[in-house]
Amino acid sequence: MEQSGSSLLEQDLAKLIVQTLKLKADPAAIEPEAALFGEGLGLDSIDALELSLAISQTYGYQLKSSDPQIKTIFSSLRALAAAIEKNRTK
Amino acid sequence: MRESPLIGPYDSNDVLAWDQRGPRTVHRFLADAASLAESLPDRPTALNLATNRYEFLVGFAAAIMRRQVTLLPQSRAPQTLLRIAGEFAGSYALTDRDDAIEGIDSISIQPRGGHAAWQGDILRIPSDQVVAVAFTSGSTGRPVPNKKTWGALTAVAQATGARLGIKAGERISVVATVPHQHMFGLEASVMLPVVHGLAMHAGRPLFPADIGSALADAAGRWILVTTPLHLRACVAEGLRMPPGGLILSATAPLSRDLAQQAERHFQAEVHEIFGFAEAGSIAERRTIDGDRWRPLESVRIEQDGPSCRVQAWYLSAPVPVPDRITVDSEGGFIVHGREADQVNVAGHRVSLGDLNHTLMQIDGVQDGVFFLPEEGAGLVTRLMAFVVAPGKTSDEIQRILRAHVDPVFMPRPLVCVPSLPRNATGKLPRESVSELARQWLEREGHDA
Repeated sequence: MEQSGSSLLEQDLAKLIVQTLKLKADPAAIEPEAALFGEGLGLDSIDALELSLAISQTYGYQLKSSDPQIKTIFSSLRALAAAIEKNRTK
Repeated sequence: MRESPLIGPYDSNDVLAWDQRGPRTVHRFLADAASLAESLPDRPTALNLATNRYEFLVGFAAAIMRRQVTLLPQSRAPQTLLRIAGEFAGSYALTDRDDAIEGIDSISIQPRGGHAAWQGDILRIPSDQVVAVAFTSGSTGRPVPNKKTWGALTAVAQATGARLGIKAGERISVVATVPHQHMFGLEASVMLPVVHGLAMHAGRPLFPADIGSALADAAGRWILVTTPLHLRACVAEGLRMPPGGLILSATAPLSRDLAQQAERHFQAEVHEIFGFAEAGSIAERRTIDGDRWRPLESVRIEQDGPSCRVQAWYLSAPVPVPDRITVDSEGGFIVHGREADQVNVAGHRVSLGDLNHTLMQIDGVQDGVFFLPEEGAGLVTRLMAFVVAPGKTSDEIQRILRAHVDPVFMPRPLVCVPSLPRNATGKLPRESVSELARQWLEREGHDA
């Protein structure tokens, strides 16, 4: 498995992203450190909104863009998974 | 000649805008705008790219003071900006971030030196002064400019406020999730507060939690200027809002079901605005009351054969309505749908012909078509594209396309195919593309 470098939560989150946003990508092929927005997966602010709902429903963590860490949180799969790990309520 | 003041009934210490950095008073705004106006270059047109609503307003007002026209690009895609700057020779950009665009001179709206006491009178602006140009997507691949006079912007703001029951001197705060470079955003989140003397939130909250905290900070009664997309997210998230506010939605039709949920859940009235960049806002309805739109004061809609036209004193000529509508005997109307070439993605209208044209301009693309599938389960339904481009990968084409197309219209997915199902006359019937899309979605295991 190529996923030895990613945690279980990262793998689940990758699946959630691909499913929620109907991406063509294979969840296992999303690099944990690669950019999600802009050049990386090419996501935009509507994706961020859609993703935030899915994250809130799945993990009980409500994202806020006034959070000073928001840019870091959304920078990669790994960063997003780390923020969820820290803030999840389910 | 008709004229009206730059800002409405404020006292100089009233809060005109606020955000997490604190309040900006009317006094401060007038000083900021006047000092920026002095430092603007002698040019005819300015692309206002400010992301902060207050900074945008400062730039807009400064341009008006210098009798310059503000250009409102629908997207920040560099190619779009360069094309607009190319068509309006002598344009420069006003920005509030370090995001210079190569090939366009940029001026920072902030910081300005000192905030000297404001001494002058408030500028009065002639109704026929062209103050802004909004762009729409045509079928030729180039943005179509729509000139906006001061009279048109203020008349729409007056009429909208009157319809929503805004009283002079009432304490109201406006929070908006829509961009102010969008026609509805400019009218409802900038002109509406300025004309009626209301406070505006300078940010642009995205997530439900952001909207919630902006509303919690709002002084007095609140108005949330938003779209069905954000409203659906707020309802799904079970957001709490202080009761007694008013939600103003536009850019795409709101379902009565969602409006009912929102009214109940937020204890707020939900009103919708109908409009389009060519004419601005033309009608309003309270969604739970029914499908019928009531035209704003001084707007008249005339049936003209199968199509309709809008007339108003501030429009230099009647403007065709881009949707199929039926007008009733009292001047109200029902909307049946978009004209075939026009689609709406997440509240942004675009011509499929325009997108197809852009796609076909890409080197190595032999044939291509954009397609909007039927609405699915998500918040927003994205466009798809099918492309014939031997030797190119879908990623390569996406990368080039991204420089030319607003992110919201980027196809998801862009699928490379050996050929498109064109018929004998070379046309591509919608049903054939629809079938192609269905097959692809089935193969990939996504729900159609």
